[in-house]
Amino acid sequence: MKRYAVRNLRMCTKDCLCLFVCPTGATDTENSVIDKTKCIGCGACADACPAKAISLVPYAYPPQQPKTPQVITALHYLGRSKASAESAALRLAEAAGDGMYRLMKGIAASERILGADLMREAGYMLPQSENTRAFLQNIQHDPDYADLPADTVNRLLELLYPDDTE
Amino acid sequence: MKSVCQVCGFVYDETVEKIPFSELPDDWTCPLCGAGKQEFAAEKKEPESIVPQIEFGEEHLKLSAGQLSALCANLSRACEKQYLAEEADLFKQLGEYFASKAPVPADADADELAAILRSDLAAYPAVRAVTDANADRGAARSLVWGEKVQRMVSSLADRFLREGAAFTKDTEVWVCTACGFIWIGDEAPEQCPVCKVPSWKFEKMQGRKTA
Ligand code: SF4
Ligand code: SF4
Repeated sequence: MKRYAVRNLRMCTKDCLCLFVCPTGATDTENSVIDKTKCIGCGACADACPAKAISLVPYAYPPQQPKTPQVITALHYLGRSKASAESAALRLAEAAGDGMYRLMKGIAASERILGADLMREAGYMLPQSENTRAFLQNIQHDPDYADLPADTVNRLLELLYPDDTE
Repeated sequence: MKSVCQVCGFVYDETVEKIPFSELPDDWTCPLCGAGKQEFAAEKKEPESIVPQIEFGEEHLKLSAGQLSALCANLSRACEKQYLAEEADLFKQLGEYFASKAPVPADADADELAAILRSDLAAYPAVRAVTDANADRGAARSLVWGEKVQRMVSSLADRFLREGAAFTKDTEVWVCTACGFIWIGDEAPEQCPVCKVPSWKFEKMQGRKTA
């Protein structure tokens, strides 16, 4: 499997062993993001890093685990009330004083995280998956979203599915 | 008798604590995670044999704008984890677009919010029964955490109905960015009581920007 190295900046302790061992200089960049075009995926940097800040990620991900229609429907049932709760909390935040404002923002943020998590388990774990591609393609023809930012969607399709031919 | 917090698992042991659980004041909260007294259950309660059934019909497959926004937020996070910065940002923008399409409730109604949260919480066992029947352990894991977090959120909404926002006035509101758990306190907890991530994974809710 073809892979390339990525560095987690929050974990990097600047011990710089990755600079010493990289055969192509890919780890040595002014913005600390490993140069994907130079990286050959040898893994020497990840092995050497004392902070375990480097991972090797694949260019292509395996297909997702299949989801049954029953599970998807049940998760969407919960997802719908999370979205309603989020809207209700945001509406309350708008009308509120400071203490209540922060509490309601917190509730909205929490419902958002729970809703996103349910979506992941309902078949949208990977941005590079068939499900995500179908979502991006179909939403462009949905009359409810006629003013969808088309450039954003097209750029995503281009970046995530480079092998697609129009 | 022992009572167990259904959010974080803290055990209130009457033989150690002296005060019987039932005699604790109504505004008593879990010393570990801050959940309300009513979120505790007696230890070793009979496993619920009858799970209330819910009809999960086809109509739930049509996603609301709010759900589509959550979908984009999920994909944005997934891109971030893969270090795909541009893709993460694009999904974020798309999420904001869908959020702007979500209907805004006519009134700011805290009773309504608390009711949505309670009924959502009550649906967990039925949803869990579906994931178990389909042997979907990934979904089950997400539901185990989700139920605890939702219980906390619901507990806070109930507390807000009883006491107003006084309990958040002179302190901070923190949200665990990994699982969504809400913590009220001056500092973020060392570890999330639900998903166990370290304190830096918590985000502080900022006050309203004054113009
Ligand atoms: S070896 Fe690890 S800790 Fe050191 S600079 Fe490289 S990534 Fe950072
Ligand atoms: S995987 Fe090899 S080539 Fe790529 S950055 Fe690490 S050491 Fe350099």
